[in-house]
Amino acid sequence: MNVATKSKNFFKSIPDRIKKLPKKFAAKFAGAKEIITQGNGRVSASMIVMGLGQLLYRQWAKGFMFLFIQAAFIVYAVLTGASDLFGFFTLGTSESDAWYGVKGDNSVVMLIMGILAILIIILYVVMYIANIKDVYRTQCAIDTLKTPIGFKKEVGALLDKSFHKTALALPVIGVCVFSILPIVFMILIAFTNYGGDVVPPALVDWVGLANFGKILSLGQFAPTFFKIFGWNMLWAVLATAINYFAGLGLALLLNKKCVKGKAIWRAFPILAYAIPGFITLLGFKFMFSYGGPINYYIQQAGGEAVGFLGLDAKWTARLIGLGVNAWISIPSTMLLATGILSNINTDLYEAARVDGASAWKQFVKITLPYVLFATTPVLISQFIGNFNNFGIFYFLRGGLYADGYFLASDTDLLINWLYNMSIDNNYYSIGAAISLVIFVITSAISLAVYVLSPSYKQEETFR
Amino acid sequence: MRRTLTALISHIVLVVALIVTVGVLGVVAANVETTRNEKFTGVLEHNVTLRILENDTAKEQGYLKELLDAFNAEYAEYGIKAVDANMDQYTDLEKGGPFGYGPDVLYQANDALMKYVDGKHILPLPVEKLECADQVEDAAWNAYRATVGNDTYTLGVPVNIQQPLLYYRADLLPDNWEEEWDDDKNGVPDMIENWTDLYRFSQSIRASSGGTKYGYMKSLNDGYFASGYFLSYGGYVFGNGGRDTTDVGFSKGDGYKGAKIIRQLASVMNLECTEDTITRNSYSRMAQGTYFATMTTPDVYTMFVKEMVNAGYTQEYALENIKTVDVPRLPVSGDLEDESEGFKDMTVMGGVNGYAISSYTKAPNAALAFVNFATSYKMIGRRAALLGISPARKDVATELGGLNETINENLAGGTIYVMPSVRALAQVWTPLQTFCAKIADDVLTGKNMLVTDDALKSGLMNVDKQIYDAIHTLGGS
Repeated sequence: MNVATKSKNFFKSIPDRIKKLPKKFAAKFAGAKEIITQGNGRVSASMIVMGLGQLLYRQWAKGFMFLFIQAAFIVYAVLTGASDLFGFFTLGTSESDAWYGVKGDNSVVMLIMGILAILIIILYVVMYIANIKDVYRTQCAIDTLKTPIGFKKEVGALLDKSFHKTALALPVIGVCVFSILPIVFMILIAFTNYGGDVVPPALVDWVGLANFGKILSLGQFAPTFFKIFGWNMLWAVLATAINYFAGLGLALLLNKKCVKGKAIWRAFPILAYAIPGFITLLGFKFMFSYGGPINYYIQQAGGEAVGFLGLDAKWTARLIGLGVNAWISIPSTMLLATGILSNINTDLYEAARVDGASAWKQFVKITLPYVLFATTPVLISQFIGNFNNFGIFYFLRGGLYADGYFLASDTDLLINWLYNMSIDNNYYSIGAAISLVIFVITSAISLAVYVLSPSYKQEETFR
Repeated sequence: MRRTLTALISHIVLVVALIVTVGVLGVVAANVETTRNEKFTGVLEHNVTLRILENDTAKEQGYLKELLDAFNAEYAEYGIKAVDANMDQYTDLEKGGPFGYGPDVLYQANDALMKYVDGKHILPLPVEKLECADQVEDAAWNAYRATVGNDTYTLGVPVNIQQPLLYYRADLLPDNWEEEWDDDKNGVPDMIENWTDLYRFSQSIRASSGGTKYGYMKSLNDGYFASGYFLSYGGYVFGNGGRDTTDVGFSKGDGYKGAKIIRQLASVMNLECTEDTITRNSYSRMAQGTYFATMTTPDVYTMFVKEMVNAGYTQEYALENIKTVDVPRLPVSGDLEDESEGFKDMTVMGGVNGYAISSYTKAPNAALAFVNFATSYKMIGRRAALLGISPARKDVATELGGLNETINENLAGGTIYVMPSVRALAQVWTPLQTFCAKIADDVLTGKNMLVTDDALKSGLMNVDKQIYDAIHTLGGS
């Protein structure tokens, strides 16, 4: 099945999936309906005060545990949770004055604490539902003359049948605090006026979709955005393809039996990989500058100095960027491909040779599908990495605005433009809005590529 | 069903009521007026440690240690101890200060320090109580004045004045310079007195060396140094003394004449002047004798001497022949080949480095005592001797004489344009350096698109627009 058919089928299935949603939704809430209609007085007790029903069933440990959770939530809400939640909506009402030691509100901190409060409230709701389900399970067990599951047994199950819950509990909390919270924070920043002159102690406000409106409505933005976006896509595709196939080619070459001193040859690209990227980039910038060695030799040979990265060097600079990026990135692909190639069953090649397949045929039919299958997720991450490759043109050709571009040069990628406009200018909210746009683009491309790739569709092929 | 539903709703109502009640109370409490306390009471805090942020040169040359030791000995009886903050010299107080991570006292440039005023991160100082109060030029104090609300405050104490200087190799002057290159017979070579003669001299060096040697060389795309040409002919960075960022003025007055000067200077250089190559290699090229002169800041003098020593000269020879002078004068006509209207002093972009006190310090009075000590006659004199700075204190500058006195006079006379103390200054450099590089590239590649006055005016107006856009397009509501 080719990519076009796969895409067609995928999009065709969307209406069916939407139609099935209400049924799925109803099935999810069938349990809740049952508890509300069938629940007895003890279930009601647990609905008012968490753990009360369990205590009435003489399930002391569970009862007190749920009671403690409710008490802890009340204490948290009184001490800080309620204020944090309100702070999330107001983002502060009194400005601090450091000159006179007046402590006011810090909108950014309030936003973070507000998100945390919402996460804690969600956690509380989850525990509340678990509390009701638990007491209802006990009710059902007693009604059907079975012995309700005791606390010890449930704890025991956490180390046995439900061990996945125990094992995942801490990582999930970690992901919520260290991954989800910052992402949500960044997304929410796009809906505020944070940045420019509005940085704490000044109070930040919610502005709704104004930042997105600003991006769309500003006349200067649209032409620059589309020019940069077009180049950015071309760059990401070319850079990923060059790095991938050159890395694979190098790995295949160094895998050949006839190559002597493989360890030494493999060490050279690794050296390029090991040197910090910005040092390599500054080195290349110097090499291609008017005063650099390349121009020196051109002039020595009687030629004119060439502005490889100069003001008008649009395509030359872009090609140099691709080359430098390849210099930095090919070694990592080579290492990856070397590892994967060593796992290919050599019998496949033997069989192909018996069948009279040429070396090219063997590459196209055996090596490439196998390597592509194993590396599609890496390929996607490389594509995203290249799409958001900030360093290349920042170091090679930073500090330049090109004619016809708004606060950008003709080699800048969206991420560089984002930097010029946000970090350089402190417009964090606009930066966050553009980040969201970039995120939507890259995630849509990545998801589509991944879903349509053999790595996803034929997961079992090479197992 | 009714019972369970009632219980469920009761719980939800109770939780929501609790959160709303406590939340509303929290908002009300936050709006209660807090007492405003004056920080500089005049009473020294005892047994405190002050974290002092100084620049790297002061640390490397041992000045900071000397300063801290002297201060700690003086204030030992109060238990006040000053220590190195051990932070990067460009530490942003705005980022760490409110969370208790910043230093108590900061030494930075005026544009870096004054950006903290927006968030009140540095304290207004009772500068009249300081020993240096009457010794510092009003123009230097101005760099640290800001209006907040209806009042004007002074938020920093000037220590040294920075301006670009012309560096040249005295041993590369022509043997007959007294006859050929000293028209006014004042004993000073004309090529270091005015840009017209420096331009002519550069042309003659290039011609006689077959293009292998140069006279004046500088990366013309460096906005900090190149801005002086526009400022000298009526251009400015921001209006209202550098505070009105809606009024960007490089194209104002006869600013385009500065662009003409850059164009002419580029013609005696090579394409390296369109990028930062010359900034990087000017030390070694001057040492090799490839360049006769360049323009840079006073603090890099030792780099030139070091490179000359590396090139095989003795230290004494290097010290004798690497000379620094005030920047040359510009022709009033704005044409390096036309001196008929005479010459005028060049206005250069400069800065005033100084001390400020963090608003988050626990010991403002002790910090003020430190600033007073560090800006005393004795310590500023010592700083100038060790670090080669140009002191903002007139008494020390007069005692040291030479360029130190000239730089103070330049500041008082208005030929040093103090970098605007506003955050938006960061948006000036990229548009300006792109345009300057474009002028130089235009000459050296023979494109000749920026030849006429109108083309240069239009280019500068575009620079102003780009700067305005960078500051206000996204920032505007």
